[in-house]
Amino acid sequence: MQRRNFIKSLAASAALLAAAPLVQAANNPSFRFLRPPGSKDEKDFAATCIRCGKCGEVCPNRCIKYLGTENGLSSLDTPYIVPREQACILCMKCGDVCPTGAIESLPREAEAIMQKVDMGVARVDRTLCLSWQGKTCGVCYRACPLQDVAIRIGRLEQPHVLKDCVGCGLCERSCIQIPQAIKIIPSHTRKKV
Amino acid sequence: MKKRVDSPSALRHLNKLRWVVLTLIFLMLILLPFIHLYQTYVAAHAYDLLLPHEKTIYDVMEWFTAPFVNDPETDLDAIKGTTWSGTFFGLQLSDPLAVVSQVAASFFLYWPFILTGLIPVVVTMLLGRVFCGWICPATFIYELNDTLAAWMRRAGVPLGDKVYDKRIKYLILLAGLVLSMLLGSVMTAAIYPPAIIGRELYYAIAQGAFGSGAVFFILTIIFDLLVARRGFCRYLCPGGALYSLLGRYRVLRIQRVVEDCNDCKKCNVVCEFGLDPLQDGFGQECNNCTACIAVCPTDALVFKVQTHDQAFQGPGHLGHAYRNQQVEEKSGG
Repeated sequence: MQRRNFIKSLAASAALLAAAPLVQAANNPSFRFLRPPGSKDEKDFAATCIRCGKCGEVCPNRCIKYLGTENGLSSLDTPYIVPREQACILCMKCGDVCPTGAIESLPREAEAIMQKVDMGVARVDRTLCLSWQGKTCGVCYRACPLQDVAIRIGRLEQPHVLKDCVGCGLCERSCIQIPQAIKIIPSHTRKKV
Repeated sequence: MKKRVDSPSALRHLNKLRWVVLTLIFLMLILLPFIHLYQTYVAAHAYDLLLPHEKTIYDVMEWFTAPFVNDPETDLDAIKGTTWSGTFFGLQLSDPLAVVSQVAASFFLYWPFILTGLIPVVVTMLLGRVFCGWICPATFIYELNDTLAAWMRRAGVPLGDKVYDKRIKYLILLAGLVLSMLLGSVMTAAIYPPAIIGRELYYAIAQGAFGSGAVFFILTIIFDLLVARRGFCRYLCPGGALYSLLGRYRVLRIQRVVEDCNDCKKCNVVCEFGLDPLQDGFGQECNNCTACIAVCPTDALVFKVQTHDQAFQGPGHLGHAYRNQQVEEKSGG
């Protein structure tokens, strides 16, 4: 009986811990982060990543940071990127160095990146965007590493995000509006819906 | 009486060598984040935009690494990571605990990763729990902490010296793996000091602040200092548990030569892992750290190649107990 109770309480506490990130995410919807380029789906990521920290250690752009308990205990010490602070330059070094395949190793070529990388998708807030408000800007387009594939510009340099956007966040980083008029919607939050 | 003392064996110096290795590995873990910072400064091609302290880091690291590399941006990638998982000149190595917990968490065998644990596993099966004594960056801190505790005891500060069941750590290993499985997340990484130290040194140096793991590690230091001597390694460490299991039938063992032993008990006192060399009680938890060899006044502890420990051989032949026995036997017979 005692052992059964022990196992029961173990399972219960595990369920509680597993539920914690969902609760915390619900409490804190403004915490928006990306996983490094080529990362597995969010569900598999915490199970695959061993928290060795090598991805951050090779990142030449210092955009990879590490989660504390903000996103729940199960993603403690996993890598994340906040594009407005420092965006990913798609150098793909983190995937090369990842020992577990949590971040896939990809060549630094446009085709591979467009096919395999899915950090998120940019979304333009037209009420904030200077170009959409008639003041020609186009900075996001010029910051994009996949111009005319991920983003194109129309009249008055108005940005249109295309479906091949991989979500590196360089547009959000470069946006001269405060708050930024273009934001990356992380793929792990889009897929939850 | 044998003249062992006049020509002390070279094995005694192994403990010094071990300290050199431990120190080098710890310094390496401090150096790596600085190398990373230096690489990012180089990659940015903007020396004049660096802050004064960043310029200092740049200059020092440039002076330090220039003899070895042509292009710091890529050449310095040769050594990355920590003792938890790292790249060493193209060779990827991972802690067996990382491999086991990752398999438990993901229910998937990703062979390129599992093979990175192969060399540590083979080394442990041959040499025993050597990681714990010779490599682990936490051991470096814990042993210094233990030295501090010894000084404090000598100064009269009452410190706890509780003894628990050494098997607790196997339970923690099991619980860690079960939790990893249930949560689908590598939970052992959060409670394993060497993994924490590598990470936290990187966080502190390259990311500006310690993370939550530092709190856990400091708690273990306090536990070791105030409650139980080397308590975390002896009773709680999940990685130590796994290494002990792997090293159960290790080939290289420290053993006692009963003819040379004088029962002085220094080996038992010095043993960081609370083992009992005096009564041939090494077991699977001995990490071949050689601290007992270094302290033995009669060189009665030597390395032997065998897969099992000797059974208790009785009191040392140079000690009083043995001599009294002999006298009794003679007078009786």
